[in-house]
Amino acid sequence: MAIIETKNLTYTYPGATKPSIVDVSIKVEKGEFVLITGPSGCGKTTLCRTFNGLVPHFYQGELKGEITVAGIDTLKHHTYEMAKHVGLVFQNPENQLFALSIEKDVAFGLENVGVPREEMRRKVDWALNQTGIYDIRERSPHEISGGQQQRVAIASVLAMEPEVIVLDEPTSFLDPLSAEKIFEVIYKLNKEQGITVILVEHRLDLTAKYSNHLIVMDHGAVRLEGDPRKILASEETRLIGVGIPKATLLYQMLKKEGLNLGDQTPLSSEELADQLLEALKPRD
Amino acid sequence: MSVFDGLRFRKVHSPIHNLDPRIKFVYVIAIFVAAIIFYQIIPLLILFLIQIPFVLLARVQRQWLRSLRGAAFLATFIFVVNVATTFFTSGYHFTAPNIENAAAMTMRFVVLVESFSVFFLTTSPDHLGLALEESRVPYEFAFAFTTAVRFVPVLAEEAQTIMDAQKARGLELEKGGILKRIRNYVPVLIPLIVSAIRRSLELAEAMESRAWGATKKRTNLYALKLHKGDYALVAIIVGILIATVYIRLYVPIPTIASFF
Repeated sequence: MAIIETKNLTYTYPGATKPSIVDVSIKVEKGEFVLITGPSGCGKTTLCRTFNGLVPHFYQGELKGEITVAGIDTLKHHTYEMAKHVGLVFQNPENQLFALSIEKDVAFGLENVGVPREEMRRKVDWALNQTGIYDIRERSPHEISGGQQQRVAIASVLAMEPEVIVLDEPTSFLDPLSAEKIFEVIYKLNKEQGITVILVEHRLDLTAKYSNHLIVMDHGAVRLEGDPRKILASEETRLIGVGIPKATLLYQMLKKEGLNLGDQTPLSSEELADQLLEALKPRD
Repeated sequence: MSVFDGLRFRKVHSPIHNLDPRIKFVYVIAIFVAAIIFYQIIPLLILFLIQIPFVLLARVQRQWLRSLRGAAFLATFIFVVNVATTFFTSGYHFTAPNIENAAAMTMRFVVLVESFSVFFLTTSPDHLGLALEESRVPYEFAFAFTTAVRFVPVLAEEAQTIMDAQKARGLELEKGGILKRIRNYVPVLIPLIVSAIRRSLELAEAMESRAWGATKKRTNLYALKLHKGDYALVAIIVGILIATVYIRLYVPIPTIASFF
């Protein structure tokens, strides 16, 4: 069964004349690493907020269509009920941490649902270890770097043991190295814990290699959906304005010039490097 | 930025920092009561001196001296007013008891400042929030308190950025008379407030996403528990109170002037 399924989802913010997402029908299977991309203002953020019911419960406005997440109809259930199933990590790490110590922040969700203290301690420590911030658990959020703050944000949704983690451009405030570390943490959670990941991101150079499901949005609608290798190789994707990985672009340029490096479109520099080495190997 | 430095709290572990904030608060009240009961300089001086070991144990002497220095102006004011009133009411001459009395009033104020500063210098906002929660203050208030403390440095940084940005566009903050100077801050305040409101919306969203308000029976990662030190402090408090009442009722308190 699909863990997230939407049918003809259309949503208009209160007071807006145009809908922000239009007729979105997607299906996400359990354990997938989904990448959502598209130009700014294409409705990615709004779509993310429908997954845990912030849209429409927090924002009001008009939501048409059907949506079920982890078997729950988000239209009929409040965001705090969804919080146990869907963790949402926001763009600005600073505005999602409100406690005076990191471990207290990680515990926030568990405190809210009333988990007993010993169990809470165990889950908090587990989440801190998973994201590699156990050693700084007593520091205050203001004292740590943006990358660490974002890892705290991930740990704090992870502690709730959700089935799905949705990350809305989690690295746009970070430098490339911190960003890469964040992606590695997310990938590990996806691989080892089997958590379904939905990642909204512009930096496909760094993330495409992790994903096995790509959704390209434009003007509120889903334009392309499916296997990242196929979609990133298509001309349409480029025209929408998606930041196609350099390795993929180079592969296509070479292909156009008649140099075929293999059937599989590379998504990362490593993959392309392997293909090139294979092609350049002296044959006897 | 320096204005907000005092509000930033670093986690420190010392025998005093680790004390239960509720007991520490009772201690402040006890000192308060004792300082009100006495009006002679000698017991007030003793009250001042017995708190110094706390300051040293907590290793906050530098901040503590700074807070006393901050109170110096008001203390001088209290002293001068007291001396002046007795000077005018007792027929225009200074007498030793009068001056001693004025000094005692000043000392009373200093003792109050001292005990409050020991409390606030050694109690983390986190602890304070927890104490509020466990004293059955509605969680919303405790949360608002800790969150406010959390965002002080963030907003201070933002104010600095906005000031720099506006200065880069030619805003002169330190120009003109006092009214003009206040008006100069309008282009700093408006963006600051707008961004604070935006920030609060994002915060609300994040709270909502993390099950805010899911149950009335909220639990807490930390619990306040009484340790040995807390019982020791309780004993000290009881001792101070008993001594205060006993001395006040049965012991004639000498004045410094009577020694000469």
